[in-house]
Amino acid sequence: MRAEELKGHLDAVLLAALEDGPRHGYAVIESLRQNTGGRLDLPTGTIYPALRRLEQAGLITGSWSVVGGRRRREYRLTAAGNRALSGKRADWLDFSAMVSAALEGRPCPSPA
Amino acid sequence: MPQPRLISSYLTVLAAQLPAPIVEELADGLTETHRSYLQQGLAPDDAAKSAVAEFGEPQEIVAEFARVNPARRTARRLLGIGPVVGACWAVALITDRVWPGPLPARILVGLALITIIGLLAASALSTRYRLAARAGVAGCVGIAILDAVLITGVTFTGAPMTWLMVAAMVASTARIAFAARSLVPALAR
Repeated sequence: MRAEELKGHLDAVLLAALEDGPRHGYAVIESLRQNTGGRLDLPTGTIYPALRRLEQAGLITGSWSVVGGRRRREYRLTAAGNRALSGKRADWLDFSAMVSAALEGRPCPSPA
Repeated sequence: MPQPRLISSYLTVLAAQLPAPIVEELADGLTETHRSYLQQGLAPDDAAKSAVAEFGEPQEIVAEFARVNPARRTARRLLGIGPVVGACWAVALITDRVWPGPLPARILVGLALITIIGLLAASALSTRYRLAARAGVAGCVGIAILDAVLITGVTFTGAPMTWLMVAAMVASTARIAFAARSLVPALAR
């Protein structure tokens, strides 16, 4: 999947990658890669500004540590981030169910 | 293990355009990406090439960071509310027939306003991180000073405090407060 196709869903995908616990930037990318079977093809460097944007929005919080002599920034979900993830997940499930129904020519299930 | 030259050069390009903490975070990610390719069996130079290619073009990364710069966001908001505050002052000054200060001072205020709008627009549109940050902070400080000058000018002119004038002064005071509050995260970057 290309970056343009993911536009609008990147925030949800990044929040989901942090749902299981705190991760640094590279671990977020690795998690996305594993969860999508390597189909997510994003310029890795652009994940970091997206994480900063989520931090500014108060959805995640970042903290520094030192690992192997290098400074590393680790991110974790905030309570607002958890709520935002739940909302985005529900929206996506409704949306994908609607599009699937339209593409397959079957009745759309009622929203949850 | 020493850092491959390709990775050092890549980080040098980023360091020339981004603040040190951001470059440190990117350096950590790039080092981890390089290490991952080494573990897959690539030679160090090939691993460095793959890591850099995976990260993307430095200008693309810089442009993305410029877009999330707090100064740029503040500049966009100030440009958005600018016409509202400007309209408040225009209506108050024209309706109440108040023209604070001598003509040269008014021309100076007009030129300052044009400069500030230019700075805020540069910050709002720039894909260069440092330009977006500096122009945004300068525009933010400039608009706060201009609002303070307007409020002081009207007060010392002894203009009648009609509700229109009070509304314009309240709008400017609110903008000063917004600019001051926004400067803290913008300067922290």
